[in-house]
Amino acid sequence: MKLERITLENFRQYYGRQHLNFAKAKERRVTVIHGVNGAGKTSLFLAINWCLYGKSVDNVKVIDNVGELISKEAINRAGVGECVRAVVELAFLHDGRRYVVRRSLEGTKKQGGSLALNDTDDFTMMRTDEDGQAKRVSNPIGTMNAILPVNIRTYFLFDGEKIDNFAKPEASAEVKDAIYLVLKVELLVRARRHLEAIAQDYRKDLKQTSGGELRDLIERDENARKEREKAEKRKAELSDGIESAHRKIADIDRRLLEIQGARALQQQRDHLGRELKQRQSELDSLVNQIRELTTGAYPIVAKPVVDRALQILDEKRERGEIPSSVRKQFVQDLIENMNCICGRPFLDGSPEHQRLLNLMSSRLPGSLEDDVLDTSAALRPFDERIGKLRNDIDASMKRRTELIGLINELQAELDDVGRQLRGSPLEEISRLEKQRQEFRTDVESYNAEIGSLTERIKNLTEEIAQLEKDIGKAQKDERRGQLLSIKLDLAQRSADALGQMYQAFSDDMRVRIEAKTKEIFKRLIWKDSHFQDVLLGPDFNLEVIDRYGMFSRSDLSAGERQVLSLSFITAMSRTSEEEAPLVMDTPFGRLSSHHRDSITKHLPELADQLVLFVTDEELRDQARKNLEPRIGTEYRLEFDRKTSCTEIVEVNR
Amino acid sequence: MLQDRIRKLFGDYDSAIQSVIAGVLVLEQEHISYKHPRVKDQIDEIITHTASKEAERLEKAKARRK
Repeated sequence: MKLERITLENFRQYYGRQHLNFAKAKERRVTVIHGVNGAGKTSLFLAINWCLYGKSVDNVKVIDNVGELISKEAINRAGVGECVRAVVELAFLHDGRRYVVRRSLEGTKKQGGSLALNDTDDFTMMRTDEDGQAKRVSNPIGTMNAILPVNIRTYFLFDGEKIDNFAKPEASAEVKDAIYLVLKVELLVRARRHLEAIAQDYRKDLKQTSGGELRDLIERDENARKEREKAEKRKAELSDGIESAHRKIADIDRRLLEIQGARALQQQRDHLGRELKQRQSELDSLVNQIRELTTGAYPIVAKPVVDRALQILDEKRERGEIPSSVRKQFVQDLIENMNCICGRPFLDGSPEHQRLLNLMSSRLPGSLEDDVLDTSAALRPFDERIGKLRNDIDASMKRRTELIGLINELQAELDDVGRQLRGSPLEEISRLEKQRQEFRTDVESYNAEIGSLTERIKNLTEEIAQLEKDIGKAQKDERRGQLLSIKLDLAQRSADALGQMYQAFSDDMRVRIEAKTKEIFKRLIWKDSHFQDVLLGPDFNLEVIDRYGMFSRSDLSAGERQVLSLSFITAMSRTSEEEAPLVMDTPFGRLSSHHRDSITKHLPELADQLVLFVTDEELRDQARKNLEPRIGTEYRLEFDRKTSCTEIVEVNR
Repeated sequence: MLQDRIRKLFGDYDSAIQSVIAGVLVLEQEHISYKHPRVKDQIDEIITHTASKEAERLEKAKARRK
C-alpha cells in the first residue's frame, strides 16, 4: 500500500474542501506535515484512520472519544434543517492497482445549533481495473483486510510517543500478536483451527451415513431378480406342461370316441363335461352376485339402530312431543290476530291466550320438526328394503347350494365314467383312461404349483420394487458418503499440513525479526557500542543484551524503549515484504537530539513511504538536514485563531 | 512477498491440499480483523469444490482402469 492523496471536507477543524499529496517517489518518499500543538496533526492522522476503517471494525475501536467529526464551523454556518457533511477521501496504490476510498458522515442541523447525526456513515471503495475503469468494490471490508487489516494498522499508522509498548517487560503478548498478525502466522493458526473444527463436523456426519448397506441391498436385489426369473421360467414350463397334457387328453378323448366299447361313455363324458363347465360358469357369476348383494347389505347391520330410532320417534309422537298436531305458524297467526280457531276473539291473558302461548313454547322449532318428520318418513321403508335384500340373498344362496350339488353330481358322474373306462375289459380303453387320468392329475398338480409360483412372483416383484427404491436412496447416501469422506480427508490433511508448517514458519519469522530488529536497533541507537545484542525468544520476549552480556531491557530509557519499539516495527515491516507506509504522529517528541538525528538519517531507508506529523521543534537542525534530501512533499498546518479552523498549506520546495 | 513464501511452504503437498489451504488462507485474510469470524460455510464451500473435483478425478481413474 502506498498513499497518494487525502482530501478532507468539513472534517473536524478542516473547514471546506482541502487536500494533501503524499510523497511516493523512490528517492523522495518522505512527507512532512508540520504543525504546532493543536493545529490539527492528530485530526489529520485520525482522518486517515477513519476513512479506512470508520469508528470501529467488529470489536476493534479505531476512533474513540474524539468529539465531533463534522466541522463545527460548517455546522455553525449551516441553517436549521440544513444537511452538513464531513467527507474524507483517500487514494492509494496497492498491488499495481489504484484504490479510492471515501467515507462520509452527515447530519441535519437542529434548533439550538446541535446536529442530528445519521446512524451510520457511508463508505465506498473504488478500484481501477486493468482496463482503466474505476469499479466499485463489492466487499470493501474484506478487501481492506487483505490490504491493511484494522488490527494491523497500529503497526503502520501510530502515535510515535506511545510506541514504546513493545519494549516494556510485560509486552511479550503484544509482541507475539504483532508478529502473528503482521507476518500472517495468525492466518495459519486460524486456518488450522477452523479446518480442524470442520473436519470434526464431517466426521460426525460420516458416522451417520450408511456403511456397506448399498452392497447388501444390491445383493438382495440380484437374488430376488434371479429367483423371480427362475419362478417365471418354471411357470412357463408348467403352462407348457398343462397345454401339452390338455392336447394329450384331447387326443385320448378322440381315440376313445373311435373305439366301439368306449364311444358311448366318452360321449357321455363330453356331454357331462360341457354341462359341468356351464354350471361352473353359472356358479362363478352367482358368487359374484352374492358378493355384490352382501356388500350392499349394510341396512341389515343397521336394522337394530333404525328400529330403535323409529321406536323413539313413535314414543315421542304418543307423548305428543312430535310432530305437533298444530303447526307453529298457525298458532303464531292465531296469537297475532287474537282470534280462536272458531273465529271468536279472545283477550290478552285469557285462558285461551295462555293455552296458545304454552303451545308455542312447548313446540319444537319449525325446521327441526320438519327434519324429524323427514327422518321418520325415510326410516319407514327401511324395513321393506331389508326384507327384499334378505330375500335376494337367501334366493342366491339357495341357488348356489343347488349348483354346488349339481356340480358335485356331475363330478361324480364323470368319475363314474372314468371308473367304467378304466375297468373296461378292453386293455386299450383301460390303458388310455389310465393315461388320461395321469394327465389330469398332472394338470391339477401343475395348476397348484402355478398358483404358488404366481403368488411368489407377485411378492418378489413387490420386494424388487422396494429394493429399487432403497438402492436409489442408498446410492444417494453412498455418493454423499464418498464425497464426505473425501472432504474429511482434505480438511484433516490440510489442517495437519498447516499444523506441521505453522511451527517452522513461526520460528522462522521470529528468527528473521530478531535479526532485523537487532540490525535496525544498532543503526538507530546512538549507544550502539553499549548494546551488543537483541533477542526475541520463543516466549516472544524482546530483550536487549548490553556489553556485559546482561539483560538490560529494564534499564532502557524511555527514548531507548521508543527506539527499540521502532526497530521492532520497522523490522516487521521489512520482514513482511509487503509495501506499506509508515505514518507516524509526533515521532520524535520524547527523543533526544542523538536519537532524532540517527532516526531521521536511517528511517527513510527502512520504510517504503514515510509520513511524519511533526512540530517545528521535532524537526530542526541535523534532523532536518538528514531528512531534507528524502522529503518529497511538505505541508504546514495553519491554524486560524479567528475561525478555529486549519488550512493545509503546501510548503514550496 | 510473504504470501508467496507461505504458498511455497505447502509446495510439497498434493495440489488438492494446496488448493484448500490457499482458498482458506485468502478467506482468513479477508476476515482477519474479526475476533470470531463466521467462515465455516465458506470453508465448507472451498472444500466441497475441491472434493468434487477429486471425486471426479477418482471416478475417471477408476473408469480408465476398467
